Amino acid sequence: MSLLAVGGVHTFIGPYHILEDVSFEVEEGEIVALLGRNGAGKTTTLKTILGLAPARSGSVVLAGEDITGLPTFEIASRGIGYVPEHRAIFSELSVEENLRIAERRKGDFEARARMIFDVFPDLERLCDLPGSNLSGGQQQMLAVARALVPENRLLLIDEPSEGLAPVLVEQMMEAIRRLSAETTVLLVEQNFLVASRLAVRYVIIEEGRTVHRGRMADLVDDPETIRRYLGAA
Amino acid sequence: MTGSSPLRARAVWLERNRSRISLLAALLVVFVASFAGIERDEWFSVLMQGLSVGALTFLVASGLSLIFGLMDVLNLAHGELFMVGAYVGWTVYTRFDTALDVSVPILVVAAPFALGPWWGVLARRVPPARRRAVAGLALAAGAAVTMVAVTRFPLVIWSAEDFARSPSNFSVQVGLGTLAPLPPDVFTWPPGVAFASAAAGGALLAIGTALVGRGGAVRASRFGWCVGMLAAAVTLWAAREPIVQWVFGLSTTWRFFLAVAIAVGMGAALGVFIEVALIRPLYDRPLYHLMVTLGVGFIIVQAVRDIWGRPEFTMARPAAFDGTGPGCPGEGLSGFFSGCSTVELLGSRLRVYNEGFVILVGVVVLVAVTWLLKRTRIGMIIRAGVQDREMVEALGIDVRRVFTRVFALGSALAALGGVLAAPSIGLGTGMGAAFLLSAIVALAVGGLTSFPGAAAGAVLVGLLQQVVIRFGQSGIALPFLEEPFKPSPSLVPAAAILLMVVVLVVLPSGLFGRGER
Repeated sequence: MSLLAVGGVHTFIGPYHILEDVSFEVEEGEIVALLGRNGAGKTTTLKTILGLAPARSGSVVLAGEDITGLPTFEIASRGIGYVPEHRAIFSELSVEENLRIAERRKGDFEARARMIFDVFPDLERLCDLPGSNLSGGQQQMLAVARALVPENRLLLIDEPSEGLAPVLVEQMMEAIRRLSAETTVLLVEQNFLVASRLAVRYVIIEEGRTVHRGRMADLVDDPETIRRYLGAA
Repeated sequence: MTGSSPLRARAVWLERNRSRISLLAALLVVFVASFAGIERDEWFSVLMQGLSVGALTFLVASGLSLIFGLMDVLNLAHGELFMVGAYVGWTVYTRFDTALDVSVPILVVAAPFALGPWWGVLARRVPPARRRAVAGLALAAGAAVTMVAVTRFPLVIWSAEDFARSPSNFSVQVGLGTLAPLPPDVFTWPPGVAFASAAAGGALLAIGTALVGRGGAVRASRFGWCVGMLAAAVTLWAAREPIVQWVFGLSTTWRFFLAVAIAVGMGAALGVFIEVALIRPLYDRPLYHLMVTLGVGFIIVQAVRDIWGRPEFTMARPAAFDGTGPGCPGEGLSGFFSGCSTVELLGSRLRVYNEGFVILVGVVVLVAVTWLLKRTRIGMIIRAGVQDREMVEALGIDVRRVFTRVFALGSALAALGGVLAAPSIGLGTGMGAAFLLSAIVALAVGGLTSFPGAAAGAVLVGLLQQVVIRFGQSGIALPFLEEPFKPSPSLVPAAAILLMVVVLVVLPSGLFGRGER
């Protein structure tokens, strides 16, 4: 049984039919990259899984349990962590509060702080600063770190490398690689180079449909598919 | 943040806040200038009166700000919750016997609502297509049964027409210490039947509400609460005489604090009811909140008119703030604790209740809510939710539950403001609208979702209004007018609006607000 199974999902945002049949599966412990052009529906797919943009039809199944239509907070508390695009950290809260707010049980933060600060040593130093004082890269690290505070079975990460300096992209990739040792990751990534170096498998979405999927190793050797669905690689 | 020196950081801060600083300086100059125009022995009391009105405005504005910041709901009924606090407080303080009589049927009708989750389960058995119809039927039947049943209970009630039994006369009697309990009324149905039918009416209303709502997750049923409320109702009814005697035997100070507690509790309960029953079903349609809360406000105003009558009256000041005779007025700061009604301070005569106690409560609430926001988990969730509700929910936090609590808190603060206002500015059916307007101006001035901004805005509005009222008495000598210009009473709210316009022109997001992201 796969950890996450998305089947025939249709999602509307307002009057717009954004997802028109998205289906894929994510196996326990792997990193899967969700690829596609701008506006293809990658972010909406993540939001549909979380119930932020509920599916109108189709199903989302997490470890055998149908979570379609549940309220977002209940879906999240079943063990899904979310790292939204644009570094959506809470700028009014301090770095430590940004991490503490993600606790699902009292003591989560204390229990995981060591591991988190091992992966992101910068954050430990910045603990008392308000989130708004962090640089873009630090905010992105914080957004990922926040998803690690509770024990999650699945992380949904949206565009982690967007707008980061190359050296920070390397650091971020290293962090995600380390995370995948203990949890499953569904990654949306515009930067194909980053995605290809992280993910084991890929799913391509075009105009709201899953049109292609397979092993990342095969996609890298298939410039035709890359050009067709992702533009110039 | 690449190694900028503190000096440079300060320069950047000054640069960014240039218009804010100059505006604050300009406001300061205006206030100092206007206070300079007031007689020396009076400026301090005008200042303190302004702070007092500011404190009351803050109690309304704080809740409005929290609710608006977190849920994007501008609660137009917030002023009326303030008014309800005043009237409920007055009733508990002045006519505790009536308050007790009324609370018995209210508790009986409210008890079935405590079984909320259980009704939700029942509601889900109704096929979705028929839910709307069944809900309407249940609500209509519930309302009818409740109305009939409640009027069968003994209700000792005053009459606005008969002066001997009018609210204003009762207030006078409390001040003189001559108010006596009224003899108990009687049930017009057998008590058992009245209790059972009121409970049935409440149950029908609760079912209707559960059908209208989305019937969220099933949590532990509050069976204990339901039983507790029913037991409390029966106890209050059975032990009416000793309880009424005991409360009337208390000093007015203790009765006042009892009134504050009950009014605040009522405010919170009313807030929960409004949020769960009326606002929650409409979170997907933001504009409707304005209309629903506006309508609720009208209903509350009319209900208050029907129950307490139109004439304005005041609540007698509790004994601790009403001393006269030898040793009064008190002198200096310690005079505030002398039990006198007034105190001499800095050459001005201040009223201990209005300019002492009310301001003190305002400051305590400011500190307490700031502590709640900064130091508790729910405060952390509120601050985060103001910025990004979706993300908070995506962390696995039930934001809707936080909404209900914040709504209850905001309504309770408004009711607290109302009951505090009752002995100082008095009760009238227009007080809600007046304070709602002041509070909205205070929010706009301070920055819509900023809590310290709400406090600063409320103080500014309160001060400004008192200054205008003061100049309405003495007039302002203007060079191009022969007679001094005396602002008319209608210019008091107009001045607040003018302040808002000036602030918003210079700082579109208010004094403490953050720009739109």
